[in-house]
Amino acid sequence: MSEKRLIANEQIAPITEEGTEYDFYFGPAHSGSGNFGVKLKVDGERIISARADPGYLHRGFEKLMEYRVPIQNAVLSDRLCVLEALNWNLVHAEAVDELTGVEVPERARYIRVLMAELSRLQSHLIWYGVMSLALGFDTGFKVAFGYRDYVLDIFEFITGGRVYPAGYICPGGVRKDLPEGYREKTMNLLRQTEEMMQKMKDFSNVVFARRAKGVGVLKLEDALRLGATGPVLRACGMKTDVRKDDPYEIYDELDFDIPTEKEGDAYARCLIRDREMEESIKIIRQVLERMPEGKVREPEKITPPKRVKIPEGEVYVRNEIARGEAGIYMRSIGEGEPYRVKVRGPDFLHMIPVLEHLLKGSQIADVPAIYWSLNVCPADMDR
Amino acid sequence: MTETPHNENKVIGEISSKFKIEAKLQRERRIWVAADKESLVGLCNFTKGLGFEHLSAISVTDWPEEGVFELTYHLWSYSQRILLTIKTRIDRADPVIDSVVPIWKESAQIHERELHELFGVEFEGNQDLAPLFLEDWDGPPPFRKDFNWRDYVRERYYDKADEREKTYCE
Repeated sequence: MSEKRLIANEQIAPITEEGTEYDFYFGPAHSGSGNFGVKLKVDGERIISARADPGYLHRGFEKLMEYRVPIQNAVLSDRLCVLEALNWNLVHAEAVDELTGVEVPERARYIRVLMAELSRLQSHLIWYGVMSLALGFDTGFKVAFGYRDYVLDIFEFITGGRVYPAGYICPGGVRKDLPEGYREKTMNLLRQTEEMMQKMKDFSNVVFARRAKGVGVLKLEDALRLGATGPVLRACGMKTDVRKDDPYEIYDELDFDIPTEKEGDAYARCLIRDREMEESIKIIRQVLERMPEGKVREPEKITPPKRVKIPEGEVYVRNEIARGEAGIYMRSIGEGEPYRVKVRGPDFLHMIPVLEHLLKGSQIADVPAIYWSLNVCPADMDR
Repeated sequence: MTETPHNENKVIGEISSKFKIEAKLQRERRIWVAADKESLVGLCNFTKGLGFEHLSAISVTDWPEEGVFELTYHLWSYSQRILLTIKTRIDRADPVIDSVVPIWKESAQIHERELHELFGVEFEGNQDLAPLFLEDWDGPPPFRKDFNWRDYVRERYYDKADEREKTYCE
């Protein structure tokens, strides 16, 4: 029997002589994400050590992709993270595009950024919802998920899928052009989101500040050592964003800021996401204003997938998704299927080394606040 | 818009002069270096000194016909804004390599732990290579090219007596 199974079946450890040390199992079923556990060693209310227990969502995508052609992998890439499917679509499509050397039409690049930023908005709304839930603020959860549904309505309108767009952002561009009336609908959505953000501001002092300030403090040198990226790293004072530092698509032509905070605690991570939503709205407005005309896919005609070969080569692409740095290493030997795909999800680092580090020494009552302030997604950790 | 320091050629020059190996520029912000197994740790130490403090990922590619595993280390420099990939090859029959945990600490540790489980690569010096994702796994490392997962699933999980599952079993 493996070590893991033993953990799952283990009874609560016998009370020690001091009578206060015991094991405490957080997960694998809990509200919001689920599918992930942490084994805590606790002394009274204080956590002595934490050991992450991933694997509940391991589907072996990297291996599955070796058996499929890119147009199929585009659909698979949705599932890399349930909470931000379109962003992962984009990472995969970029890896294939770089290998094939295809010139993605300008309109398609604008649509890609539009969808990626909408995806970031809805992902941050989910985070707000589950973070509220973790802090015992049920209203925030319901309101945020209600507003997130407006974004999903747009996704359904444009891609046909609410949560999974079925590879809408595909190699060569996007699957189909934007439907008529998308501009008005998206502008309307931005107004609704701003309304939600006003509500978030009104709520924040009451709940978030009291429960999250000074909790789960991550120092910058620790964050770098533990491999933290994205909002988690920016909350420690590091001004970095793949969209600016390693620009892809049309991000270098857009005007937006990188919000940073200094404290590195759970509250700083909350503030970062609030401000990131503002930046996303700014980006979407610019994209809508400048949206060029033209085709949305190169080549326009879809050829039977079996006849398309990926040229030999290897690439490593990085994107900034809502949770941090996403990367795909793709190696091709000139066949229809990629020879090797390595997926680097931000939560692989955030949920194992970073979480273990932050939980050590904290209180049991702070576990949900720390866990959710990292905005984790077990799907992209396990892959 | 942020200014990008274009230091690619400087990095390439420093690496080639120090280690007598060829570093090539793939495109803007992408450098690829091939190193042998023995010089890997030295090279990694040197690159960390150059500012490559973020280990983005480690990956293994399996080449069973050539009998090698190819390891790729993807490093990002926040200050220089360059992605450097170091490639190295190890013998597939004896897949042992020095760990880079002393250099990139926990972030390297977890990547190596994953690759140990999925490819069976031994990282010498990594203290914790316990199973990560797979529970009760007794097969070979499943991401190796010669592991046929279709056969494995067919043997283990399909009920041959069940009429409806015949299409999968045969």
